[in-house]
Amino acid sequence: MKVLVAVKRVIDFNVKIRVKSDSSGVETGNVKMSMNPFDEIAVEEGVRMREAGTASELIAVSLGPQACQETIRTGLAMGADRGILVETDADLEPLAVAKLLKAVVDKENPDLIILGKQAIDDDCNQTGQMLAALLGWPQGTFASNLAFADGKADVTREIDGGLETLSLSMPAVITTDLRLNEPRYASLPNIMKAKKKPIDVFSTDDLGVDVTPRLEILKVEEPQGRERGVILADAAELVEKLRTEAKVI
Amino acid sequence: MEFQLSDEQSLLVSTLRRFIGIELHPLEDIVEQTGELAVEDAERILKNSRDLGFYAMNIPEQHGGGGLSTLDWMLVEEQFGYTTDILIRRAFGNVYEILLAGTPEQQERWLLPSVKGRRTFSIAFTEPEAGSDAASIRTTARREGDTWILSGQKCFISDAHFSDFFVVTAVTDQEAAHRGISTFIVDKGLEGFTIGPDQPMMGLRGTTHADLFFDDVKLGPETLLGPEGDGLKLALETLGRVRLAQIGARAIGKATRILDLTIEHARQRKQFGSPIGEFQMIQKMLADSAMEIKAARLALYATACSIDRGNEAREEISMVKVQASETLGRVVDRAVQIFGGSGYAKGLPIERYYRDARIYRIFDGTSEIHRTVIAKALLKGAPQLYDLVAQ
Ligand SMILES: Cc1cc2nc3c(=O)[nH]c(=O)nc-3n(C[C@H](O)[C@H](O)[C@H](O)COP(=O)(O)OP(=O)(O)OC[C@H]3O[C@@H](n4cnc5c(N)ncnc54)[C@H](O)[C@@H]3O)c2cc1C
Repeated sequence: MKVLVAVKRVIDFNVKIRVKSDSSGVETGNVKMSMNPFDEIAVEEGVRMREAGTASELIAVSLGPQACQETIRTGLAMGADRGILVETDADLEPLAVAKLLKAVVDKENPDLIILGKQAIDDDCNQTGQMLAALLGWPQGTFASNLAFADGKADVTREIDGGLETLSLSMPAVITTDLRLNEPRYASLPNIMKAKKKPIDVFSTDDLGVDVTPRLEILKVEEPQGRERGVILADAAELVEKLRTEAKVI
Repeated sequence: MEFQLSDEQSLLVSTLRRFIGIELHPLEDIVEQTGELAVEDAERILKNSRDLGFYAMNIPEQHGGGGLSTLDWMLVEEQFGYTTDILIRRAFGNVYEILLAGTPEQQERWLLPSVKGRRTFSIAFTEPEAGSDAASIRTTARREGDTWILSGQKCFISDAHFSDFFVVTAVTDQEAAHRGISTFIVDKGLEGFTIGPDQPMMGLRGTTHADLFFDDVKLGPETLLGPEGDGLKLALETLGRVRLAQIGARAIGKATRILDLTIEHARQRKQFGSPIGEFQMIQKMLADSAMEIKAARLALYATACSIDRGNEAREEISMVKVQASETLGRVVDRAVQIFGGSGYAKGLPIERYYRDARIYRIFDGTSEIHRTVIAKALLKGAPQLYDLVAQ
């Protein structure tokens, strides 16, 4: 089967996020960017399917500025066969991403799409679900295990209170949870080979998708620093404070 | 001039940073406490690294290595600086390029197994009476028919107990002064060749250092590496790039890791009601360290690019060797100061980095010797070393 993985370029998880001085967003200039960790898991799963012979082709897709090519190359170095970049400098909201991915799916006709369950920058956790809805495909979100048999995908999901296993007919959309696998290191030969793998570039116009934002960001602020704790003498004082200061009892 | 990593370089360094963090950092404290790297750990990190093509990345591809350019190799070695000498040796190899000067037969026998990580070797030049003055060695190899008889002593030889063979300098012509020195490959286990006990060092726990004793060791003609009498020339030609990597790049990587920890400490540690990083005297130390690291790194990359353009860059390498190792010295010294008592306490990492850093200004040519190399060139006329227009 043909598998498509979506990979997003985000601020590296080690970076201390700084809010821009005009409160319009977070600082991304001269900041280390990496592949969204959940997407790395998606690529790893695809590469394992490729190695096991379940997948015949693995395509890494990214959407965003030209620099996303680096993110795609990371996927290629891990083992994806080729890349697709939908190049745009627009701020993409999850719905726009889902529409663009649908347009890519219409071109490529994959049997399976794997995405991260969310991106660590905006934590929206929407794209996979929206994409499944737009395509009218079944979805298995928060996958912690994935198996294929008889043309079906068995997806084990982490839900409140335990694990749930769904059997999806194909084609389908899967989103990954942390425990699905542990992404590999790219090897030196594969890093060098990734340079030669093809990346097709499309514009949002090529795909005929309107990506105009539907939300307006009013302000981005640093979280409030926590106030210093105090040590109380005894339970009586605690009760007193809960009553008079916190006013919760 | 583009001061930006390519996609591949950026992926390579971040992959190595991650590999080192996950595979090697957990072993550092164990090695420090036990004084050695357990055999099974050594085998595991070798296998994991080799599977990824991270072993002997400096050696050309046709000999089974990674075939990195000098610049790429420096990027990689800078990341190696994030861990300790012994873990670098076992995970990534220490394959000196001097063996590339060997005949095809010598390469087959000694280089190839080294590139695969099956055999390891050390360089043995230093003697009790000959350190900085490498030409004053007393070890001799005298011809007897078509064999050589080696006798003498070497000292401070890194990894001596683990290594399977040694590249050894010896006088082959007493009359010819520095032209009378040749290089031999000496296998461990030959009759008359013994290795002394480990000489414990200030730092570098886990790596052994020992004397080598040659008591009329018989060497076949196939052990002579390079032409007879060219020993010092060979060393000069083949050890420069290694020095840039193992001292220059690693020192910068170490300084970077130490500064990272220091900044974090300056943020967290509170005294007089505020983080110590808010005190200007602490700030000066942080700023100085960052500036010096950045400057040394630029010098390293510029020198690497110069080598990739085909230059020997001998003096530039000396400049980076001194600049990087002394930067490391200052950065780690400030780290101890900023950590205060916990910078001096054993068992916490800064104390170990401080001890491990000190050797960088000594081995592979002391700061004084490299300054001498630079100054001699300047006096002979080498304005390209400091003047842009003369380049
Ligand atoms: C941990 C460790 C590992 C080592 N590993 C190896 C190895 O694997 N293989 C190997 O061959 N060697 C190795 N060495 C030896 C190392 O390279 C030498 O210690 C180093 O070259 C200095 O030589 P020395 O110790 O004899 O000092 P000396 O040469 O005696 O120098 C003493 C001092 O005098 C100064 N000095 C000397 N000559 C001059 C001059 N002309 N002008 C100004 N100052 C001068 C020096 O800079 C130094 O400050 C190792 C040493 C150590 C400590």
